[in-house]
Amino acid sequence: MSLFDKIRKVGRIAEAPIVSAAGPVPEAARRLRGSLQIRAVDAGSCNGCELEIGSAFGPHYDAERYGARLVASPRHADALLVTGPVTHNMATPLRKTFEATPAPKLVIAVGDCACDCGVFKGAYGVAGAVKDLVPVDAEIPGCPPEPAVIVAELRRLTGR
Amino acid sequence: VTLAGTALGLASAAALVGCVAGFVLPRRSRVVVATLATALVGTGATAAGLGVLLTGDHVTARWPEILPLAGVTIDLDPLGAWFVLAAGAVIVPVAVYAYGYCDHALTGRAVQGLLPVFAATLVLVPAAGSMSTFLVLWELMAMSSLVLVAAEHGDRPAVRQATVWYGVMTQLGFVAILIAFGLAAAGTGHETFAAIRHDAPTLSAARASTIFVLALAGFGSKAGLVPLHVWLPRAHPEAPSHVSALMSGAMVSLGAYGVVRVAIDLLGGGPRWWGVLVLALGVASALFGILHALVASDLKVLLAYSTTENMGLVFVGIGAAVLLAAVHEPALAGVALAAALLWVLNHAVFKALLFLAAGSIARSTGTRDLDRLGGLMKRLPVTATMFTVGALAIAGLPPLNGFVSEWALFQTLVRAGGRPPDVLGLTMPMAVGAVALTAGLAAATFVKAIGTGMLAMPRSPEAERAVESPVPMLAGMSVLASACLVLGLVPGLLASGLGRAVRAAGGRGEPLGSGVAELRLAGARGVISPVLLAVALLVGLVLVLGVARALGGSRARRRAENWGCGRVLQTARMEYTAISFAEPLQRVFSDVLHPQHDIDVTHAAESRWYVEAVQYRASIADGIDERAYQPAVGALRWWGERARALQNGSVHRYLAYGFGALLVVLVVAR
Repeated sequence: MSLFDKIRKVGRIAEAPIVSAAGPVPEAARRLRGSLQIRAVDAGSCNGCELEIGSAFGPHYDAERYGARLVASPRHADALLVTGPVTHNMATPLRKTFEATPAPKLVIAVGDCACDCGVFKGAYGVAGAVKDLVPVDAEIPGCPPEPAVIVAELRRLTGR
Repeated sequence: VTLAGTALGLASAAALVGCVAGFVLPRRSRVVVATLATALVGTGATAAGLGVLLTGDHVTARWPEILPLAGVTIDLDPLGAWFVLAAGAVIVPVAVYAYGYCDHALTGRAVQGLLPVFAATLVLVPAAGSMSTFLVLWELMAMSSLVLVAAEHGDRPAVRQATVWYGVMTQLGFVAILIAFGLAAAGTGHETFAAIRHDAPTLSAARASTIFVLALAGFGSKAGLVPLHVWLPRAHPEAPSHVSALMSGAMVSLGAYGVVRVAIDLLGGGPRWWGVLVLALGVASALFGILHALVASDLKVLLAYSTTENMGLVFVGIGAAVLLAAVHEPALAGVALAAALLWVLNHAVFKALLFLAAGSIARSTGTRDLDRLGGLMKRLPVTATMFTVGALAIAGLPPLNGFVSEWALFQTLVRAGGRPPDVLGLTMPMAVGAVALTAGLAAATFVKAIGTGMLAMPRSPEAERAVESPVPMLAGMSVLASACLVLGLVPGLLASGLGRAVRAAGGRGEPLGSGVAELRLAGARGVISPVLLAVALLVGLVLVLGVARALGGSRARRRAENWGCGRVLQTARMEYTAISFAEPLQRVFSDVLHPQHDIDVTHAAESRWYVEAVQYRASIADGIDERAYQPAVGALRWWGERARALQNGSVHRYLAYGFGALLVVLVVAR
């Protein structure tokens, strides 16, 4: 019975609603009408951002409450969540993933590396920031960005 | 003399001319005349078969002076005519194909001269009207095909071994048939089929059963039934492809002909266990054949095992007919026999097509290994399309011919399962299950063959450089592919002829009825209209495409590459192979297939913890071959080695043997 006691004492632990980030909503995001299917693309990340994304979609922050959802293929996706500086090896796969995503589509660069290469700027293995390879619609700065920040930005895009 | 008789005579004359021309003429004109003669044999056979089937008149002839003592008796009834038609339908396209196929190695005198002879024996065996004529033609067929199988013995050592296996198996079968016929002739005092048929009821039950079992063994070995199938996967792949097409399309069917002729026609059926035995052999062959076809990666070995499977299904039909006749269900028995005969014709057409296509592939790529092929749909568009048509037909998909015979067999077995007595209720559902499993595995087998051989990327430089075969080969295949479609769409055309064939084998009533666009199984209350089915398929296809176009027409379209998880390059080594495709099913049936795996790990010299190379070998041996035939061959070889001690080259010893033998004879004959 102690397990049930524990559950009763702990109660709900989900974060209070996260306030949506301010700013203009891209046209493509408006056409999605509050449902954002996301394919995560690791373009050369250190996996810091991946941990935060995992957390953002976990039970605590629960981004799915706001209409954003991770999917398994760009064919199912409306948006690409790209992390990391784009390495030479991942440049072509990133372009192909972008090609494979049906329009209307969004690209969200997550983390300092994705936005402007961060500390890896100019490194020998790096092809450039995400915006150098594919058009970027939203950027989430931070090294790594907090889950709350990611969720706030996703709320801006879903409008929910 | 009827039209059919004239056609049969012309076919025999053409074979003689072709044979002489093949041996006498110079290399270039030899091929032209021999293949032309073969085509004429086929045309004559088709005309003779159709003539007898459509009119029901027998073609009879007798030449007492040709063979000493017995003479030659020809009696072509509708049952034989059905097999003559099947042979003719295969021979014509094969002859056209052979004209393009036979180059350098295959223009020898024996190969060209014996092709028309082999074709003619395929036609004349079902036309034989007496046991002696039958046996002479049967042996001529075996011998001519044996030489043709050996055609490429100079190029590949495997050919020689295959020839020996084929020769031994076919001669053992011949001995069984010879004894069976001898017993029948001795028991009735006659040797023409008509007289034996008349007197067969006077045979004792034991003698009739002995004749039946011996005939089943002899003809079963020709038909490639388990456990007498071992020559098939050896001889068919190694024979030149036009010969494999004739052997697999027409010759193995004659095994079914022999069993129908002897068991159902001459002996007039028998006790229940005859039917159950044939049924069991058929089911075993079908399952064993298709399982080995499923795991074969050599295209022609796959087709050879598939022949065992198809003959197994034909024998399921024959067994059901014998059993149903034994339990006094003549109407259903007629339908079962009709289904088996229909399957014989359809199998002849699509298996010949598949072997010809496989030959075209092997000729332009130099390999039959599915794991070295691939991408042929782009490089050999016509050949690959023909192969696909044949594969869809053999997998039993409408609107092709395999579907019709599969449907007819299922209908019969399902209907028979609900009838008394218990033996039907016990055997028929099991047969239905086995046939259904076989059909499913056959579909998987040919998905594998098409998917890995015709589609995908080329897996070897040879497949990459493949060029399309010459026009005569493509023309031969197109004729067979069209036949697949026509027989699939309007099987009703042949219903009256098939009915006559069944009645000629002692069936009563009209097993089949037909309308303009349908086939009716009168005895089994089943109707099918392949034409309407094809129209429905077409309408469905047009509708789906039309709806998709109408719905998607207004949206903007963008062409994009297939999604491959962002892969940068793709090589043929990333592809699904034939072996890996079959692996899950191989695992399921591992109790039957007994796959052998070997993993060799080579360690680095410096340390055992580092691995230099890992080698993996997998093989699947034919269990019956390995457990029954190899020990037998080993024992024979052991005896042979021992017997050599008798022959040591000493003349004195040989004289002593002679003296000893003389003494024994004197004492015994005292």
